[in-house]
Amino acid sequence: MTDDMAAIFREELRDLLESLERGLLDLKARPDDMGLVNQVFRDLHTVKGSGAMFGFTDLAAFIHEFETGFDRIRSGAIPVGAEIVRLALAAKDEIPGLVDGLPDPDGRRPAILAALRGLMTGVAPAVEVEAVMAGSDAATAEGRRLLFRLIGPSLAMGARPEIVLDELRGLGATDIQADITEVPSLDRLDSEQCHIGWTMTVPAEVTEAQVEEVFLFTDAEWTLASHAADDMGARADAVEAVVTEAVIETLAAVPMAAPSAAAKPIASREDRGETPAPQAGATIRVPAERLDALMDAVGELVIVEARLTELARQNRDPALMTTAEQITRLAAGLRDATMTMRMVPLRSLVGRFRRLVLDLSDSLGKPIEFAVLGEDTELDKTVIEKLADPLVHILRNAIDHGMETQDERAASDKGRMGLIELSAQHAGAEVLIRVRDDGRGINPDRIRAKAVAQGMISADAQLTENQIFALIFEPGFSTAEAVTELSGRGVGMDVVRRTIESLRGSIEVESKLGQGTSVTLRLPLTLAIIEGLLIEVAGERYTLPMASVQEIVELPADKVMPKRSGDFLDIRGRFVPFLRLRTLFEGAGEAPAEQNVVIVMSGENRVGIVVDRIIGTNQTVIKQMSKLHAGVRAVSGATILGDGSVALILDVAHLVSMGRVPGEPNPATREVAA
Amino acid sequence: MTKTVLTVDDSPSIRRMIAMTLQEAGYAVIEAVDGQDGLAKALATPVDAIITDQNMPNLDGLGFIRALRQHPQGKGVPIVVLSTDSEEGLKAQAREAGALGWMVKPFTQDKLLAVIKKVLG
Amino acid sequence: MNIQDLRPEKHLTVVTLALGTQTLAVPAGMLREILDPLPVTRVPGAGAFVPGVVNVRGSVVPLADLKQALSIPDEGHDHRQRIMVLEVQLLGEAATVAIQADAVHEVTTIDTAVIEALPTTAHAWPPEFLTGLYRGSAGFVLLPNLTQIFSTLATRPQAAAL
Repeated sequence: MTDDMAAIFREELRDLLESLERGLLDLKARPDDMGLVNQVFRDLHTVKGSGAMFGFTDLAAFIHEFETGFDRIRSGAIPVGAEIVRLALAAKDEIPGLVDGLPDPDGRRPAILAALRGLMTGVAPAVEVEAVMAGSDAATAEGRRLLFRLIGPSLAMGARPEIVLDELRGLGATDIQADITEVPSLDRLDSEQCHIGWTMTVPAEVTEAQVEEVFLFTDAEWTLASHAADDMGARADAVEAVVTEAVIETLAAVPMAAPSAAAKPIASREDRGETPAPQAGATIRVPAERLDALMDAVGELVIVEARLTELARQNRDPALMTTAEQITRLAAGLRDATMTMRMVPLRSLVGRFRRLVLDLSDSLGKPIEFAVLGEDTELDKTVIEKLADPLVHILRNAIDHGMETQDERAASDKGRMGLIELSAQHAGAEVLIRVRDDGRGINPDRIRAKAVAQGMISADAQLTENQIFALIFEPGFSTAEAVTELSGRGVGMDVVRRTIESLRGSIEVESKLGQGTSVTLRLPLTLAIIEGLLIEVAGERYTLPMASVQEIVELPADKVMPKRSGDFLDIRGRFVPFLRLRTLFEGAGEAPAEQNVVIVMSGENRVGIVVDRIIGTNQTVIKQMSKLHAGVRAVSGATILGDGSVALILDVAHLVSMGRVPGEPNPATREVAA
Repeated sequence: MTKTVLTVDDSPSIRRMIAMTLQEAGYAVIEAVDGQDGLAKALATPVDAIITDQNMPNLDGLGFIRALRQHPQGKGVPIVVLSTDSEEGLKAQAREAGALGWMVKPFTQDKLLAVIKKVLG
Repeated sequence: MNIQDLRPEKHLTVVTLALGTQTLAVPAGMLREILDPLPVTRVPGAGAFVPGVVNVRGSVVPLADLKQALSIPDEGHDHRQRIMVLEVQLLGEAATVAIQADAVHEVTTIDTAVIEALPTTAHAWPPEFLTGLYRGSAGFVLLPNLTQIFSTLATRPQAAAL
């Protein structure tokens, strides 16, 4: 509440307290004056009501009991006594303190209330009971038929059937038909009554309570029936929640509250019993091309819908905007449903891998335990298909080169059985697939030596261990001394990497000499449509996948000027490196004074992306970039915005890896193969 | 077309709060200080909805509603009564007198807007 | 496309266009459509040869700057500027690319016999990017080797930063 209104309230309170005091003093002199009682009651009521309204809940609670007391006096249940007037005056004195939030160290207020309660015992509290309709909410597969008719002089009371119909449409009502059978001829038409009834179908999930909400203010007879029981006759028992009134007993008796009046009986409806249990595993085979066609169509729909929203916004036509909104919602639903249809669990590949591991293990004489974790992890079917070959190659490598012979293992105190573990899990917007072995690991020195021998790096190049391992993926590099029959047959790790990257994923190798190697694939969860965060820097717009966005913060004033050393943000005690997109992308112009930082995450690593402003979120249909732009690793795709322009989608994994080497003024100086 | 709401309440701060909330949402608001004032104003200007308190001097809420509904121009306007939860029976009485709906005090600004929307669409 | 590849055919239908003061000819079979100028979205780090992308009826198509590739000076442009959408062979696959033309002249059929190899004397044009040239009515017309140009661009190492 604004200070404005609080000030008005205090003014009003002053007048009320004066009036209250006057009334109570007069009441002491003339205890039978009902007019005074009424006035005191009204004042207490207003103090309580306004107090509650403006947030003075302590005050309201305190006054509440006095208000109740005076209500009882009003209705004759209690007489006015000197005691109650005294207590009321004492209460009135407490009010300013309550409003100003002053403490009550002597416990005066509880004492007053206790005394008041003492005066009031023996009076039965009024009990309000609301009869709740017990309806069977058994949802059936089809919708249900709702019939309603307004009763009484509803139109005279300002009821608006069209508003009711709109609310029902909001719940999903369709096939609305008007029943004009009871509309009389003009001479008998009562303009205060609504003679028209309506029937419609509501979805099965709509509950009685929801329908009731719609008719909260409208006197109507209505039934919610299953399709078969379209029975207006049984409507005689209209279902309406009523407030049943309690009867206030006299002073002497033990408090008793007896609900009176008719609680309307439950409407008779055909009870269809339990919902039929969904058939276990009912599936249908669909040619993959049809799914692809569907996916393309949904993609196009999303783009056009963005255009429609843009036009609606420009037109400022509320009806058009509402419709555009509805279409956006429907398109999102369609998108999600289509995405889900294309998801296939990894399990479909695992069988092939088990066979492979078994065969290799046998032919090489290396006993291997093959463990699979997360085989239920689902990926888009296209991704799964394309992963098969790379994973086979990685597994082969692990068994062929990574795994030692039994003798070697015995010599280094490892168990007889080698372990190869294939694991898959969802992580935010990505799926992580890891192949881990407990074999001999990769020797970074050998890699380095090989790379120097091949001319990939200079002899004195400084490389971190990660960078050395990354060399494995360079074309022309082979970790095997000899090309064995099993692996190295033209399909190198560089092809593996290219395949993974064509799926907009990334691959990374970690290894500890003597202990084992782990190859991790990171893949985006969907290929086609994602939730995107639209940002702007130097007048250009880009999209970040929303699933990778952790949070958005303001760039602190002291970070606005770039430093020579690495730029970091302190996010709740942890350091997060950040990249200035304007610098990175060589954006034109000066950075604005206020910039935002979008913290994105890939795996366990985070980086902040500094942008000029956040525009908003949207459904992003991913369009592939051409091979001509394949070298721009920071961009993973493009999307078309509602105004027809193109916004590039940024590759979070790549941006995160750029942030991972802080202190380098230009990450381009890392030496990699040219 | 701007919709007009008449608020009838003897508490200036409540009238102010209702007026501010509704005006910010684009409604025009007329204020009346009690039932009698409300009756006069409702008959003088066409309004699209009425919110009235019950406890007021000169003419209380129910009296105001009954009186207004006697007049032809008083029919058809949706009326919402403000009630506190200690007033059982008020809802039924209000309905009988000709009110369309009710709102329980204390209410938030969002609730007020939701009720007005329910009544005015 | 080498001159030798052309020899068997007697005629070649081409579309002629202007890049700066230079006229070029592109095989008509490669041309998908000609559009009015479109908003270009810059691709940071893409380099000067394929500086951006455009939206062609819902597809994101790379926009190549042939003037950069062929070392033709930019003379500015006017209302005659157009975008030509081409289908070229890129690393063994068909790909859609777009180029900006300062003007599009005409579709014409030329006799392959008149196509000459590039002169060996010094000139500015990268020889591997041109199939040849011929004398047109208003001066000589260059025949760019689009397959070669785009394949080179695709495999050229990008600035490692982005």
